[in-house]
Amino acid sequence: MKTDVLIIGGGPAGLNAAIETASRGIKTIIIEESYALGGQLKQQTQFFNNLPKQFDRQRGIHLMRTLIDRLSPLPITCLLKHKMIGVYKDGRIGIANDTETFPIDAKKVIVTTGAAEETDLFPGWTLPGVMTVGAAQILINRERVLPGKNALIVGLNSFSAEVAKQLKACGINILGVMDKTVSVNDKKLVEGLEDKKIRVMVNTVIERATGAGEVKKVTINNDGKKEDLDIDLICIGKGLAPILEPLEILDCEFGFQAKLGGLVPKYYSTLGTSNPSVYVAGNAAGITCLGGILLTAEIAALNALKALGVLNDNEVKVRSSFLWDELRSMESEESIETFIARVAHIKEFHEECELPLPASFHAILEGC
Amino acid sequence: MYIDHHPILENHGNDQISFFYDGTPLKARQGQTIAAALMMNNIRKFGISRKLRQSRGLFCASGRCCSCFVTVNGLEHVLSCTTLIEEGMEIKPNTGDPDVRGGIHEN
Ligand code: FES
Repeated sequence: MKTDVLIIGGGPAGLNAAIETASRGIKTIIIEESYALGGQLKQQTQFFNNLPKQFDRQRGIHLMRTLIDRLSPLPITCLLKHKMIGVYKDGRIGIANDTETFPIDAKKVIVTTGAAEETDLFPGWTLPGVMTVGAAQILINRERVLPGKNALIVGLNSFSAEVAKQLKACGINILGVMDKTVSVNDKKLVEGLEDKKIRVMVNTVIERATGAGEVKKVTINNDGKKEDLDIDLICIGKGLAPILEPLEILDCEFGFQAKLGGLVPKYYSTLGTSNPSVYVAGNAAGITCLGGILLTAEIAALNALKALGVLNDNEVKVRSSFLWDELRSMESEESIETFIARVAHIKEFHEECELPLPASFHAILEGC
Repeated sequence: MYIDHHPILENHGNDQISFFYDGTPLKARQGQTIAAALMMNNIRKFGISRKLRQSRGLFCASGRCCSCFVTVNGLEHVLSCTTLIEEGMEIKPNTGDPDVRGGIHEN
């Protein structure tokens, strides 16, 4: 198979990048390892208020429909249940599904593999009934299955708090949302949980989880006080880290940015990586909000189109600086640190390559 | 347990289908993954880890952690969280050393 643009991952970033390239009549293939497009939007019933201008405030699952509806009239090939498994010597990308392996010859690759949830280690964490908060959300919203009756949530952040409320609305008894930190800076987060009568426990760790064949009990240490709880569900919400394997296989260089989720591919202000044919966007380019996911996808796609000679310099310059501006306001609204870390990450790579930052980018730097 | 009345989402209304777990006939909903179909029937332990012989079940639900392997129609080592359940499927827990291409070739 031959294509102009190959997009790896059919979540919000991949879909938005594909809309951009395919609407210019550019041959585009998306490969997606799941049985359906949409990525994490498939189970996100929460409202997203802070989205790029072209989108209304909407629930994740509705945004998924919006994106797929925009994409479906465009000429595009979607290979569901397909994974990237390697690169051939001549640079073609190796793709596999359950039955066959074949190469795709792509001029440009946009990696939008998203992120994976981090775990937390305590004795018993591998018992059935212990799962990530994302998994619990998938069960209630996508699969319509109750993952348990009495739950404890480990790790307090906006995502785990949101899922705790969703689980509770489905009738699950939430015994508490706990965090090992001594206090929680985000008052709103705590109040939001307490409003819903969910207990928040700071300075609390799990000593062990036990049960024959599945989790039944947990011993927690709450500020030095030990407490045994009968539970059948522990949801771990310790945050996200970018999924990097395809970028490793594609020989991209990496840098460390704690605020972007740890190891992140190096990239320019174009979202191009150290491999000249590879771009990165979405959570794979650093953990961000949904607005940031959509915007980075657009920036990467535009620059890939420029490199393919489809768009001219000026056009891309104007749109890029507009998008960067929007990205700044969007990421700053969620967490200014994300945007600052992203800018630092880009600056570092430009300096390393002795490549001046585009003039439009300087204006953005001054603004932050 | 199946969520008939979701607090936000409309009723799926997906058809019921039948499958077998370790020989026992069970019901699932069309469009569910194998992992979800099992959990709906209160089966949370899907197998035993090879090395430490510990119970394993669904963990990430996203095909990343490899904790949820089962045997599907004789094919071992299938990720149950990313494979959809189908009418008549025969699911077995993964309890031993997997024969990755089992059921097709004789050993
Ligand atoms: S639960 Fe993690 S791969 Fe299936």
